[in-house]
Amino acid sequence: MILDNPYLHALIVGLPLLAVALTVAGFGVFYERRFAAWIQLRRGPVWVGPQGIFQIVADALKMFQKEDLVPASADQAIFKLASWFPMFLALSLLAVVPMGAVEAEDGSWTAAWAVSSLDVGILWPLALGGLMVFPLWAAGWSSNNKYSLLSGMRMVAQGISYEIPMVLTAMVPVILAGSLSLDDIVTYQMNHGWFAVWPPGPGLVAFVIFFLTSLAEADRVPFDIPEAESEIVGGITIEYSGIRMGLFVLTEYAHTFVAAALTATLFLGGPHMPFSVGPAWMGVVWLLGKTLFLFFVIYWIRWTWLRYRADQLMDLAWRWLVPVSLGLVMLSAVWVQLMEGK
Amino acid sequence: MSEFALLFPVTVFLILSAISVVTTRNLVHSVFWLASTLITTAAVYVFLGATFIAAIQLLLYTGGVITLMLFGIMLSRRHSSTTVPNPSEHQLLGAVTAGGVLVLFLTAIWRTPAFGRVVDVGTSLDVGNLFLSEHLLAFEALSVLLLAAMLGAIVLTRTSDP
Repeated sequence: MILDNPYLHALIVGLPLLAVALTVAGFGVFYERRFAAWIQLRRGPVWVGPQGIFQIVADALKMFQKEDLVPASADQAIFKLASWFPMFLALSLLAVVPMGAVEAEDGSWTAAWAVSSLDVGILWPLALGGLMVFPLWAAGWSSNNKYSLLSGMRMVAQGISYEIPMVLTAMVPVILAGSLSLDDIVTYQMNHGWFAVWPPGPGLVAFVIFFLTSLAEADRVPFDIPEAESEIVGGITIEYSGIRMGLFVLTEYAHTFVAAALTATLFLGGPHMPFSVGPAWMGVVWLLGKTLFLFFVIYWIRWTWLRYRADQLMDLAWRWLVPVSLGLVMLSAVWVQLMEGK
Repeated sequence: MSEFALLFPVTVFLILSAISVVTTRNLVHSVFWLASTLITTAAVYVFLGATFIAAIQLLLYTGGVITLMLFGIMLSRRHSSTTVPNPSEHQLLGAVTAGGVLVLFLTAIWRTPAFGRVVDVGTSLDVGNLFLSEHLLAFEALSVLLLAAMLGAIVLTRTSDP
């Protein structure tokens, strides 16, 4: 807590965090287009500003100017409401992520500077991430378009399937650190090593599975059948245009950024580095660095990997990820017992 | 007291959404109002300091409500628009049942030893400890029940050996 008043604290820590998340999401669009162009031997957006850096500003201005079109046969109220909620939910996930590292006098580290250090910690982003399919499905349904409805259905099927291994692998750090609080989980990693590395094996597998399931939750390749443009045109956003469409696009990037931040916090030690991290605020820089690295990996996968079919998706989730993550939960419980028993 | 200043509009919204669930004539809207009711209930739990129960409420009811929503659309008649009718029958019987449940809850709340006092409940540590000590039997019985339900679902939906 920077300030004693939790509301003021949330305001002062939260607003810069929102600014950073939205900036990264905005420039993520530009960065991804250039990166994709580089992979596909094209040039990408290079005209607006030096190296095309202002392309995103031009796109945003274009979207703001467009008429707010709502199809006559759409469910008006839900159609309009559904475009706002995803962004709100995606950004709220960040509230519990601790961003700073504070060194005590005896050399031990403590995590700090979360917008809200909730007692239930990890359950908060998991619960809100689960709520995410709600407005997205609502957008697909209310558009009254068969492709967007199909996309919404796929989204729900994928979302509720991949949520199970996601929650189970998130329990691995919880069991190892002995707390649901993200502050405690990061503090434990600072003093005992990152969960992706230690305990050797289970931690790394849990990290990979959690990362994969966050890709599925954010509808990124290889788990992007909900918006498979070659099959269902454009997914839930077919009927949306103008700034509402822009919100959905920005939400995708914000959600990806948030998923990367959560993975970095749970398994890559959050703001911690194995060598001296420097002053406490450097923790923010390290966390952002790790998050941007995972963000980059997600787009690297997106432009070099193939999309899975619906049956392959379900097969992977239920026959592989769920049993393996159940095993990981048990293994980590055994590990805790053995380490405490020695 | 600032929490209670916020709690009042939240509660009003909760009651309005709950009423809308039964009065809305569009099934999909009705389900969205149900979702709103459940999420606002979680907000009330947060105000009461029971953050663990609030998180569990969000985590579990989402999946349940979404499934309900899909059933609402897939099991109802095929419609050409987004309006799915939600007919209301047996209103008197429903009102009597609801009134009975209300009386039951009110007496239960009235008789609770903690009634009218502020108690510190609902941290994940307390809930975990209670599950593994005082309520161990109920906890285990519930998990066996869920396992049976899961097996039942598999047996019912499986048409032949793969």
